[in-house]
Amino acid sequence: MTLFPADNLLCLGISITVWFGLLFVFMIVPSVLRVSFGMRRLYMRTLLRIFEWATIRMEIEAKKRNQELYKPYSNDIIVKEPLSSLQQDIQELRGCLRSEAEFEMSDIFYFCRRGVESIVDDEVTKRFSAQELESWNLLTRSSYNFRHISLRLTVLWGLGVLVRYGVLLPLRVTLAVTGISLLLVLTTLVAVLPNTDLRFYLSEKIQMMCYRICVRSLTAIITYHNSGNKPQNGGICVANHTTPIDVIILANDGCYSLIGQAHGGLMGMIQRAMGRSSHHIWFDRAEVKDRHLVAKRLGDHVADKTKQPILMFPEGTCINNTSVMMFKKGSFEIDCTVYPVAIKYDPRFGDAFWNSSKFGLVTYLLRMMSSWAIVCSVWYLPPMNREEGEDAVQFANRVKAAIAAQGGLVDLIWDGGLKRAKVKDAYKEEQQKLYSKVLVGEQDQKEQSGDKHLEDESTEEERNDQHLRKGQ
Amino acid sequence: MGASHGRTKPNEFQELMDKTGFSAEQIKNLRIRFRQLSGNEETISRENLDSIPALANNPIKKEIIDAIFDKRNQHESEVGSFQEIGFEQFLMVMSHFRPPTLKTTVEEKEALRKEKLRFLFNMHDTDNDGIITLDEYRKVVEGILSKSGAIEPETAKGIADAAMLEVASTNVPNMAPDDFYEGITFEHFEQILKGLEMENRMHIRFLDVGTTMRCGRSTS
Repeated sequence: MTLFPADNLLCLGISITVWFGLLFVFMIVPSVLRVSFGMRRLYMRTLLRIFEWATIRMEIEAKKRNQELYKPYSNDIIVKEPLSSLQQDIQELRGCLRSEAEFEMSDIFYFCRRGVESIVDDEVTKRFSAQELESWNLLTRSSYNFRHISLRLTVLWGLGVLVRYGVLLPLRVTLAVTGISLLLVLTTLVAVLPNTDLRFYLSEKIQMMCYRICVRSLTAIITYHNSGNKPQNGGICVANHTTPIDVIILANDGCYSLIGQAHGGLMGMIQRAMGRSSHHIWFDRAEVKDRHLVAKRLGDHVADKTKQPILMFPEGTCINNTSVMMFKKGSFEIDCTVYPVAIKYDPRFGDAFWNSSKFGLVTYLLRMMSSWAIVCSVWYLPPMNREEGEDAVQFANRVKAAIAAQGGLVDLIWDGGLKRAKVKDAYKEEQQKLYSKVLVGEQDQKEQSGDKHLEDESTEEERNDQHLRKGQ
Repeated sequence: MGASHGRTKPNEFQELMDKTGFSAEQIKNLRIRFRQLSGNEETISRENLDSIPALANNPIKKEIIDAIFDKRNQHESEVGSFQEIGFEQFLMVMSHFRPPTLKTTVEEKEALRKEKLRFLFNMHDTDNDGIITLDEYRKVVEGILSKSGAIEPETAKGIADAAMLEVASTNVPNMAPDDFYEGITFEHFEQILKGLEMENRMHIRFLDVGTTMRCGRSTS
């Protein structure tokens, strides 16, 4: 009887050792040595087969019950007709009444309809919520519409939950913790070395290794395209932003200098550790507001050709990976080569978008670690330089268009900051001006031909004004 | 857990379909949109609508938002305005702009037209006395025309006055010099816009989603 507890402890001890041993052999050593067994891709293919099976089953069941299952893939609700100008639309609307140019009561219809259509569907608001999937990847979080269709599927889903939360999550958390502690410990050790060249060389290797471990901890399956265009020293790398994980994905394939606000706590420790052994740019909260200071530090870093390329996300906020929003011009004002990178996530395996108004960072990371995998493609685009006579905004738009085209994303002019702020009144005034010009322009034509009539009408107008003024 | 997320029985939609005249597909799409606008809450407030960038462009944005929260547009006899609206009320307001289908009869088209006119009338008539006075009309006109730019406020005022005058002369042709024109009643409003072909232009152009797509291998 007394042997039992010892027996149990022994079993526990052995299983933990085996667990860590396997972990070490299959995960950590390959990361260190830059070797891959190809297990993740095998995993991905298996998962895809399971998803297909699940979707076919759902389809069969749905047909049996005569229910509609698939939602159309399009996100749009309104027909997107070719952009006709304000003038054309109003003329069309008026055309049936009269062709005269004065203000018509019907003009208000035009603005009314436009307004209601914007409420029903607009390009911006739908970018800030996660993309809806058309087939089910056994994650209930990714779809609102799938209901209990068959027992087999529910069982499968249950199994999925067990596997994800019971097996994958602890594994990944262990890996992540290992990766971060290794980073902290090793960079501190390296920082002790006196020789700067050796120090930076070693720290590069260490950082890459730790990023590889982190990538495995997320089960991120990344395909890099066009590696020939990888960013070089003394340049700036810009990419579209979907999640904080973007940094890990890019840094897995090359060394970058990161730029950001200095945090406290764990993040701060990591930042300081990294800063000790390589060049990163961390700003204090107060310094962030000072544009000149920021530009100067960036400029200095870029001018030094031994320093790694800076990684920046000009959108300024996380977008849900269906579109690219306005690039802030700050990154493009510095005089250097820009290396654009497009990142596109495959939503079938897990939604990588961080909706910061819905989840905090820790919740988000837990969600990431309990998805099946994060599959993405990274395209390195050819470097771009600012051309003669091009200002920062035009250059930014050019880069944005290139990234959108490569990643298959929609290119929008709207500012990602609209997630939290409102549109400036200036836009409304623009529309008002446009409409006024329609009226005034046409009235000008009338005035030229109607001078004579004005004199006749003036007395009549005085009389008519009396009618109206009495009401006031 | 999530298996019953967003489950709707066909009966629930049926009631909404009868009340508002939208099809099930359109109601589903509008529900997704409602959720997007409300941030997954049960109701929408004015702030939610304020934050739509494309709407900010619109010169009569305030009037449109007021109209959406206006109780008169709910087809009930209440007046005043809501602070927040739920999905059913949202649909009721949007139903003023529902598109005609092939099955819409002539009477229904007439009714639709009258509904749209009523909606617009309510938008002008802010104090709900059944008449659009000169002041009310001026406000709307000034909203559309630029406050800073091609047209000065005096000109805008003049345009509003002229339009009002035209309405008066059309509807009360033999006005004596001392008669006072109170304002546009709903009948006058209808009269002015008699020739305007609204049925085919003044509705939301829903995307035709007749054919559903299969989930295939997406090329990424």
